[in-house]
Order: sequence, then C-alpha cells, then structure tokens
Amino acid sequence: MRNMWRWPLAGFMTGGLVGVALLTINIVGTAWGGAGAVRADAAGRMDVLHTPPLLVSAGESTALSYEIVCSPAGEEPAAPCSPSGTLHVRAVGDRTFEDVPLARLADGRFSYSVPASFRGGTGFEYYVTFQDGRGNSATVPAGGADAPERAWIVSKWTTVDLGTHSFGSTRSPDSVLVSSAWGAGPSDLGLNDGREQSRIGPSGFDVAADGAVVLLDQVNHRLARYGNGRVEHFPIEFRGGEGDVAVGNDGTVWVLDDGGSQGHVAVVRGYGAAGQLVGRAGLAAPLGEMLRAGPNGPVVHSYPSEMWLPVATGQAGHTAAQQIAGARPGRPVIGGREVVVRASPEEARLALVAGNRVISAWRVVSQTNLGEVQLAEPNGNGITAIVRLWAEKQAEFRVLQLGQNGLGDSFTVTPAEWAESAPLSRFRVRGGTLYQLRSSPAGAEIVAYRMGGAR
Amino acid sequence: MSKKRIVIGFLPGVVAGLAAVLLMSGVASSRTLTFQAGCNGTWFDANPVSRDTARDYAYGAVYEGYQWGGGCWNYDNIDSAPNDPPQQYTGGEGGDCSGFTFKSWWEKSETGDAGFRYHYALQLVHGPYDANGFKNGDGAPNITLAKSSTVYMDAFASTSHIGMIYYANTAYNEDRMVEAKCESCGTFTWPRTYRGDPSYSAVRRTGW
Repeated sequence: MRNMWRWPLAGFMTGGLVGVALLTINIVGTAWGGAGAVRADAAGRMDVLHTPPLLVSAGESTALSYEIVCSPAGEEPAAPCSPSGTLHVRAVGDRTFEDVPLARLADGRFSYSVPASFRGGTGFEYYVTFQDGRGNSATVPAGGADAPERAWIVSKWTTVDLGTHSFGSTRSPDSVLVSSAWGAGPSDLGLNDGREQSRIGPSGFDVAADGAVVLLDQVNHRLARYGNGRVEHFPIEFRGGEGDVAVGNDGTVWVLDDGGSQGHVAVVRGYGAAGQLVGRAGLAAPLGEMLRAGPNGPVVHSYPSEMWLPVATGQAGHTAAQQIAGARPGRPVIGGREVVVRASPEEARLALVAGNRVISAWRVVSQTNLGEVQLAEPNGNGITAIVRLWAEKQAEFRVLQLGQNGLGDSFTVTPAEWAESAPLSRFRVRGGTLYQLRSSPAGAEIVAYRMGGAR
Repeated sequence: MSKKRIVIGFLPGVVAGLAAVLLMSGVASSRTLTFQAGCNGTWFDANPVSRDTARDYAYGAVYEGYQWGGGCWNYDNIDSAPNDPPQQYTGGEGGDCSGFTFKSWWEKSETGDAGFRYHYALQLVHGPYDANGFKNGDGAPNITLAKSSTVYMDAFASTSHIGMIYYANTAYNEDRMVEAKCESCGTFTWPRTYRGDPSYSAVRRTGW
C-alpha cells in the first residue's frame, strides 16, 4: 500500500512546488511592472490636434488652427509645456515651402491665416512641426514636405439645402440580409456590454462582389461571411476593442484592429477566401478609423493628420515609410479620383477631385443640426452621401444622391444604433444597393435599400 | 518497481499538484490583483483649473488600461493588468469611464463641493458618480447642457458610459473623445458620434 502511493505523492508534491514557483514569478513580474513602478517617460507625450480645411471656397478667409496637448511627465502636477511650432506652406505648384513661425494666441491655440496669395490658384499645401519644450517633437502629416496636407480651392459649389428636417418619416428596408441574436453561438454576433463601459457590437461590415456580406464579429474574434443562405465563420486574431473591415477587389478581406489596451498598436490584416492570413501591415499612425478598399489596395483614414494611408498593394502590406509617403488628404477611388469630405456643424462639404482639379463639389446645409458624414461614395460624377440630422432626443440618417444638378434621390433611415460600431462603418453601397448595419437589444442585422427614384 | 510504473504514478501526481496550487491561488487573476498594491491615496486641492490642464491630465491616461470600478494607473503606456474578466473588480489598472472622468475633471468625493482636487494617477479613487449620475448632472460640480453648446472637455454621457470631448469637429464632423472604454479597449482617444446619438446627453464640469 505504501509503495502504491509513494510515486503519486511525490509527483503531487513536485507539481505543487512547481506551481508555487510559477505563481511567485507571476506576482513578482506583475509587481515589477505594476502600479508601484511608475515608468513614465520623463518627457511625457505631445499630441497635435488639427482639422484640415480641405475644401476652401475661392476668396474665403481660412485659418489653420492647432491645439497642443501635453501629458504629465510624472505623478506630480506638470508645469504647462511650452510648445512652439513652424508651419511650412506653399501654393500648389510652388517648389518651396514658406516657413512661418506659429504664434500662440491668448487661448493657447496656434493659428495662421492663409494669405490670399495661397488661395488664388488650385490650392495650398502645408505641414507643421511642433516642439513641446520638453524634448518631444512632431511633424504632421508625418511625411512632411514629401506628403503634405493640402486644400483645394473650390470655385463652384452645388448647394443642397435640406431645410428643417421632419423626424419620423423614415423608410423601411427593402430586405433583411442578416439577422442574429447576441451571443457567441454559431448563429450569433458578439456583444461587449456592461455597466460603466461602451456597449460594443460588430464594428463593421462590407459587401463582396458576389453579394456576400462579411461582418467583423470582433467580440467573438471572428469574421462571419453570409452568402448563399448560410453563414461561415473564420477565426481571426483581434486584440483591440473595435476595428473595421473592407473587402478588396480581389476578394481579400482586410481587417483593421485598433490594438486595444496592449499598446494601441493598430494593425491591418488581410484574409483569403479560406480565412487564411495573407497580408499584414502595422498602421503608420497612432489611430486608424475607417478602412476602405481602394483601387490599388486598402486605405485607412488616420489620426492625427486625417490623411488616408495606403496600407497594402494587392496583398502585400506596406511599411510605415511607404504608408507615410503615400498618404493622401482625400480617399482614393477608381479613375484616379479622390473623395474629399470636410464637414462641420454648419455645413457638410463634399467633392470629387482629380489631382488639382475639382470635378464636382457640394455644400449640404440644414436648419437642423448636422452631424457626421456617415458615407461618401462616388457615383459617376456625383456622390452618394449620408449625413446625420439630429436634435437633442432624436436622430436620423439622410441618404443623399448628390449630382451635378443638386439633390436627386433622397430618403431617411433610422439609425438603429443600440450597440456601438465603428462610427463611420454603419453603411456600405454596392451595385445600386445601400446596406446598413443596425442593432437593437435583440441583436444585430444587415438590411438593404434599393437606390434610385425619388422617395 | 519498473520505470513504467514510476512514470504512471509520478506524472499524474505532478499534474494534480500543479493544478491544485494554481487553482487555489487563482492564477488567472493574480496579475490584476497585485497591480493595485502599489496604488496610493494621494491628492491635494487646487484652484483654479483650466480645461487645457484637465485635457493634459486626461491625455496622460491614454494608452493605459480600463478597470471596471477602478481608478489607478501608472503612465507606462500599456495596460499593465490586461484581460480582466468583464464587470468584475479584479484590482487591475485604469479607471472605468466614470472614474476616469471624475479624476480628469479634478472633482472631489464630497458631492456638495464643486472645488477642484488633483488626483495622482496612482491614487486609487473612483469617485461617487457613475455614468448615469453624470448624465443627470448629479453633484455640485456637474450640470447638463445642450449638446450643441459643448466644447472640449465637456462630456457626453449615456446611462452606462461617459466620454469627454478631446477635440471637437473632425473632417467628417465627429468628436474625438477621450474615454476609458472597455477592458479590451483600454483608455484612449477615439473619434465618435455620441453628439448626435439620442442615448447620450451633454454634461459639463463647472468652474473652469
């Protein structure tokens, strides 16, 4: 009997000792990097905040405004950092940039009034460099002179006045393509919900050329592909809380992962038809928002520059240097064109441009509060756009077919945004059909609206 | 005794011993449970405080973690206690959305006092308000206002979440928010559309 238990008992003791050792290593490791060890960068961090004007009316006075944010350099209350900056600006076509020291205003901001000499041609280009007085510096856009920000001068606008919006007359979808309950089961979509946090559902979706709907079910770490009356799931690596998804022209499914709390290192990964990883690129910016399929590969709308970064060509991921060098202020679309959006609470400006030429430009105004531009997709020489119209307790999305003669087809849809998605990834357009990601306490769905004809 | 019999007897014992220790210790949560051991209770009152100062403070927590019910972080630009189980207080790093707002707005735990208080990043404090309390304008320092009247470092709050305006009006007319968003999200700045979302209301910290 004693012999029978000797070896199992010895094993149990050995295993226990190994467990204690592992636990000790774990705790010591945590304490080393835990709260007791403040390892702040002695110089803190600096952030440059700026919204580019992008679309400027001929003769319109324009200012470039910057705000600087400096994180504390340690536990003690920080003395304000003392930022200084230089703007480098030139008219489009000029060879050299003019260096302009930026003056700090009484409110702490930096501002530069763009002189008429830069607003007389097709536009102006610029980038800025800032130092925070603590050893940190930043160039925005990161490409500096090689890939500057730019503004187009618009000589002719087509103005669309939406008047005062009448809430409550939304259009019903023509069809429901996907309808799933919340959960982690084979037919479910994941929900990250709870007290004192965001309520997060699927971040985004896209529609493939064959009509299949691809949903980013990042809460369940998978892609869900709906087509031919069935759903397929593909497990994916996803570290962050939210992201976006776009299906490329070659069928590659690209996923933007914001990286989440483990360093917020945003990554774009490409997946083939069988769900295998086929491409990868680290985003050359602290923050990516929209991921879209461009004519040559996926592009990401990035911050702080608000430039669109080309993250891959085909399935080959780009290096950070390639992304920065290829950054564009407008979103590249087919035909060598770009879609440019610059919206504010007062008006939404949208344009189709080709190089220095503005092909068409629209101003959308309303007596009702204008929210974000949810979607702007080229449609011939027009644009299909969606804007939010909102009041304190109401909101709806207005779908606009913007053409050379003004507003064509237009209708209103309900936001149905019970769960959060990526903010500008609730809609997609493909082949004359508008798709919308909607959510409710019951689950999430993808619905479709046929476009065309006034409603 | 043959080697085979020793192995058959010994190895299951090792596995059983290892499992027993790890299960008893709760190793899965030990990383987070130990994080707050180094937190403190350090604060001091200050006056006045500007929106810029508050935004700088909030930006310091960017890249740090999220902890439901928490309020302590360490400026190392990463969640030092990641992957906590949701909706459980496991002693990890970061504030939750309302705790982060409370500290970033330099508020006091005394709800009738609208004065300013500097909270060390390592100070473990959540404050008396949840997101719904902020949404309702609870407490002396907090008031509600029209969403169209907000400026930076005002906040948008729903019944379950709150985020502060980091920078208003992006090119697509969103607001960049600074917020402690969720466990996997951490604390960061994101462009969001809370302003036009009817489930969110505007709230302001007074006295800037």
